[in-house]
Amino acid sequence: MTATSQLTWRRHTRRTVSILAVAAVGLAAVACGDDDDSAEPSGTGESPSGEGGEITVAIVGNPQMEDISALTPELFTAETGIDVNYSVLEEGTLREVVTRDIGGGGEQFDVVMIGMYEAPQFGANGWLTDLTPYAEDDDSYQFDDLIPTVRDGLSVDGKLYASPFYAESSFLMYRADVLEAAGLTMPDNPTWDEVAEIARAVDNDEMAGICLRGKPGWGDLGASFTTVLNTFGGTWWSANEDGSVAEAQVDQPEFKEALEFYSGLIGEAGEDDAANASFNECLAQYQDGQVAMWYDATVAAGLLEADDSPVQGLNGYATAPVKETDASGWLWSWALAIPQNSPDPDTAWQYISWATGPDYIEAAGTEVAGGWAAIPPGTRASTYEIPEYQEAAGAFADATLEAMEAAPIDNPGTTPRPGVPGVQYVGIPEFQDVGNRCTEQFSSVIAGRANIDAALSACQDIASQVGG
Amino acid sequence: MQLDTVRQEPGAALGTAPKHDELRRPWRQRLPLLPALVFTVLLTQVPFLMNIWYSLTDWTIVPPTPREFIGLDNYGDLPSDQFFRDAAWVTVEMTVSAVLLSLVLGTLLAVLLDRAFFGRGVARTLLITPFLVMPVVAGLIWKNQMFSGLYGVVNWVTARVGMDSIEFVSRYPLWSIVVVLVWQWTPFMMLIMLAGLQSQPADVLEAAKVDGASGFGTFRQLTLPHLRPYMELGTLLGTIYLIQVFDQVAVMTGGGPDSTNIPYFVYQRSIGGGWEFGKASAYSIAVVVASIVVATVALRVLSRLLRGEEIA
Repeated sequence: MTATSQLTWRRHTRRTVSILAVAAVGLAAVACGDDDDSAEPSGTGESPSGEGGEITVAIVGNPQMEDISALTPELFTAETGIDVNYSVLEEGTLREVVTRDIGGGGEQFDVVMIGMYEAPQFGANGWLTDLTPYAEDDDSYQFDDLIPTVRDGLSVDGKLYASPFYAESSFLMYRADVLEAAGLTMPDNPTWDEVAEIARAVDNDEMAGICLRGKPGWGDLGASFTTVLNTFGGTWWSANEDGSVAEAQVDQPEFKEALEFYSGLIGEAGEDDAANASFNECLAQYQDGQVAMWYDATVAAGLLEADDSPVQGLNGYATAPVKETDASGWLWSWALAIPQNSPDPDTAWQYISWATGPDYIEAAGTEVAGGWAAIPPGTRASTYEIPEYQEAAGAFADATLEAMEAAPIDNPGTTPRPGVPGVQYVGIPEFQDVGNRCTEQFSSVIAGRANIDAALSACQDIASQVGG
Repeated sequence: MQLDTVRQEPGAALGTAPKHDELRRPWRQRLPLLPALVFTVLLTQVPFLMNIWYSLTDWTIVPPTPREFIGLDNYGDLPSDQFFRDAAWVTVEMTVSAVLLSLVLGTLLAVLLDRAFFGRGVARTLLITPFLVMPVVAGLIWKNQMFSGLYGVVNWVTARVGMDSIEFVSRYPLWSIVVVLVWQWTPFMMLIMLAGLQSQPADVLEAAKVDGASGFGTFRQLTLPHLRPYMELGTLLGTIYLIQVFDQVAVMTGGGPDSTNIPYFVYQRSIGGGWEFGKASAYSIAVVVASIVVATVALRVLSRLLRGEEIA
């Protein structure tokens, strides 16, 4: 090789390599990105006057909340002169932002939407304003109209910390036509053993017997499975006298029995790709005629009976299946709360009273695009007495109300639970994390990748890190 | 020849002079750079130092507990933390297999692209495309359109040959993620190797041909040694990036045994529900240390290449 060619070659190499190096560094910058909370408040249009004040509300982006944010200028701001700025957030983001904001003593929001899991815990921590005095003094709110289980689930020591906007329980939905064709009948209050028997009997290559959640997550597989665990007599932790966590109970025989039953039922008569299935996946499979039964949130019934649903009118509804207990359905609510350090709780309550009061439900029925079936359900007994709602939701309204009222919020299982009340979760802050990590283990059992004993032992280790 | 010698002389003579000059240049000439430097330091180094400080504390915000200084306890717990070890092992498996597979595939594709053929430009552009897809999008596309047991393309193909449908992501989470990573990172490796191939001096190859060397022999004995530094570079850069994979894990499996790597584990232990910022900071520092070790080696290789040292 001549000196000249070697030199040019080196220069060439050097140039390409430097370009590559620069490109690589540039890529690093792009790949790192950032995960902005994107909590930009979005205005809700013009305000008639400034005298009513202005509040900022953090909400979760579900259809009913999108409806209310669209109706606010017309139905609320026009009446009261209070401007409402909504921050619509995705569920996980909302939980993060609100926990940081309230826990850290920030003043970003006047009203926050939180779930039934957080409300009593945050209330007990002193992070939220006690709404009971407001609710009692406000005639238009009709405090006594709230469904008692929902009210209890959002309260600690008789103090209401969040006002329910939407609530749901769980029940069993099934294809009445399929069961009839197979010569089977579903009792109104079935046991899990009866349900499993029916599921195995109707299961075939085209149609699975039952759809159960198998996707990791404390609110996915964790919710469904914990209701089964409760009624099988198991629990995540035992409780001390003062309500604190005593010991992890994942290694107990009841827990194993419940998990064996749950994963066994999915394995023999469950849906395809169960380890990836949660509400949406099961909804799609049920509507597509790929499963005969489905145990999930009561709110699903509204979707099954909608005008565009292929299975409209073909369904039966039964209470959540039981084993050792009398009722096992879960209880969940999205509710509005006022942070403790809110500068103007009176204005904030004015908004909450309107958004979660009976008048909004009446108004929503005629105003929202989805009609009466799309109003926020499950919070008030009066909702189920509205004739138009009865007509639109006749197929499932009674079953839903029954499930809501029966949800065993005070005593979900056979033994005392630690923390604040909860059915499909344990009312302690650590449950979210323990539930997420343990359901990852259980989900891999459902996928057939891990055996039950290994998963339970890992989960017992995870749960044992709490309390003690 | 003469020209080269002449041109090299002033360079050799100046070898020390500009350096000397550089040192004596007054600070005020560099002053305009200072705001940018301070900004960069504030933005990158201060958070890092705070992260180190957090890693020395016991800090949990749910349930709210006061932050406590506990020294190196968080680090001391690392080796005995079974879930951290699992996550670390998954990170190693994921990174090593994705890097090696994409390197092999990238080299093969680069050898193909190094030949002249009709439509080479189009083929090269198409091959690079996967690298330009956002990681979240790539993860979702593969999960839903390719791997899905119900309506995935892969299962449609395997069904044609009479195989049962397989739920890839639930059954083989690690390998599903590795496939997506390889799909995305093969173009990166291909580009590096292509640069290497195109910098190979033609006269050497010509001499080999004249001497009667076979195609494969030339590749094995001349091209591969020539490509070695490029392979090292690709491996090390790829490793630095792939240690940090998060998006594909989050959207494809959402964590779990066999798919939670350290970055996802750090997320879970902190804002993902664990709320243990002290421990999570210690985990992330451990990853940073591992990355720095890899990066240091990478930079050595890089500088060796830049100096133009011949290896083989």
